[in-house]
Amino acid sequence: MGKPVIVIGSVTYAMKGRSILARYGIRSSVERIYRSTNVRGCGYGIYAPQRTDEAERILRREGIPVSGRTTRGPRS
Amino acid sequence: MIYLDNAATTYPKPQSVQRAVTEAFRRYGANPGRAGHSMAMAASEEIYRCRSAAADFFHAQGPECVAFTLNCTHAVNYVLKGLLRPGDHVVISCLEHNAVVRPVHALAENGVTFTEARVFPGDNDATVNAFRDAIQENTKLVLCTHASNVWGIRLPVGRIAALAHQYGIPMAVDSAQSAGVLPIHMEEDGIDYLCAAGHKGLYGPMGTGMLITSHGSGLATVIEGGTGTESMMPEQPSGMPERLESGTQNMPGIAGLRAGIEFVKKRGPEKIFLHEIRLLRSLHAALSSMEGVVLYTPAPDPKYFAPVLSFNLAGLPSETVGRELSRYGVAVRAGLHCAPAAHRFMGTLEIGAVRVCPSAFSTMADINGLIAALKKIRMKNYERMH
Repeated sequence: MGKPVIVIGSVTYAMKGRSILARYGIRSSVERIYRSTNVRGCGYGIYAPQRTDEAERILRREGIPVSGRTTRGPRS
Repeated sequence: MIYLDNAATTYPKPQSVQRAVTEAFRRYGANPGRAGHSMAMAASEEIYRCRSAAADFFHAQGPECVAFTLNCTHAVNYVLKGLLRPGDHVVISCLEHNAVVRPVHALAENGVTFTEARVFPGDNDATVNAFRDAIQENTKLVLCTHASNVWGIRLPVGRIAALAHQYGIPMAVDSAQSAGVLPIHMEEDGIDYLCAAGHKGLYGPMGTGMLITSHGSGLATVIEGGTGTESMMPEQPSGMPERLESGTQNMPGIAGLRAGIEFVKKRGPEKIFLHEIRLLRSLHAALSSMEGVVLYTPAPDPKYFAPVLSFNLAGLPSETVGRELSRYGVAVRAGLHCAPAAHRFMGTLEIGAVRVCPSAFSTMADINGLIAALKKIRMKNYERMH
């Protein structure tokens, strides 16, 4: 099983999302996502190794456009 | 050189801006928002820092509302051409720069109509009333300058925005002369689209500008292309800021702009503004007592004016005065300043004017140097002036 990455798309929103999660004490990092079945092409995502489900809920609630999940990897 | 052409581009740039640009070449040499390697990500982080700084400075909803453009003109074009369609009407002011006038005229060839609302310097009630009178049933946008780039006349954009919103019309502001100089609070002022230059009062490099808006997704695009996102799709992404940012960004310029915004914040925009107004009030007093000087505006009252002052020497073309001043080592801008509407308003369309604009780095010695040079020019051209 790969490590889940929350797909955002925009690098700007991904970085904003990372800042929001930090306020909730959730450590995360922004990662490049290459072609994936979850996205409409390449983009960016947030890798939150812990509390991933909670992180996704927070992001959605805060208006970050989450488009799904994928798994971490060089060509995930 | 005494540099008083800061309304065009501020010079010198702060050391921090120069350092940031140089650093960007060294540390952020990869495309931001594209690859996932460390230098590309570092570049993306720097771009994000600038977006955050700008959003914070102008009280925008968030960093995603900041789209980088080449300059303020591009931002204005994005708004006008992204919003208006044949049959629509737009209200502008009678003091607009060609950055507004020309795209509006281009749109007019395709069925967009416009009205120029008259501005009443020193009488904001009358100005707001003029905008009210200009609104029509099919008005889809009010767009005006925050401060005239020729006369420094301030427009009450917060009140004009409140008026526009009463009619459900969005408000756009051309802040080329005001960003970094006059207070701008997008939320409180009700500004839907803020068009800003990076290379003037924000002390960034040339080739930087911003369109700041939370409504960018609703704009039709003027330019489409690669954004580093949704690459499978042939359509331009709808989300901001990618919707308005196709192609590789001006990484060193944006890094410099970030440093410029931080410079203004640190020094205090109000302090900079009052410093510049003080210099111009001294200049105005000196010019008022100088025979043969034609002034068009009163001593700049900070409530009604931005720190820009234009004048003429009677009988001498403004370009001649500008050229002579350059010989004395004084840099000003003469002519029409790409704003024939503003000159028509003041009756100087045929002769233009000599424009002076200080910066945070200007000193009283600079103003005294300008006055001394003007006295010499006046002496030299005594016969032509009388």
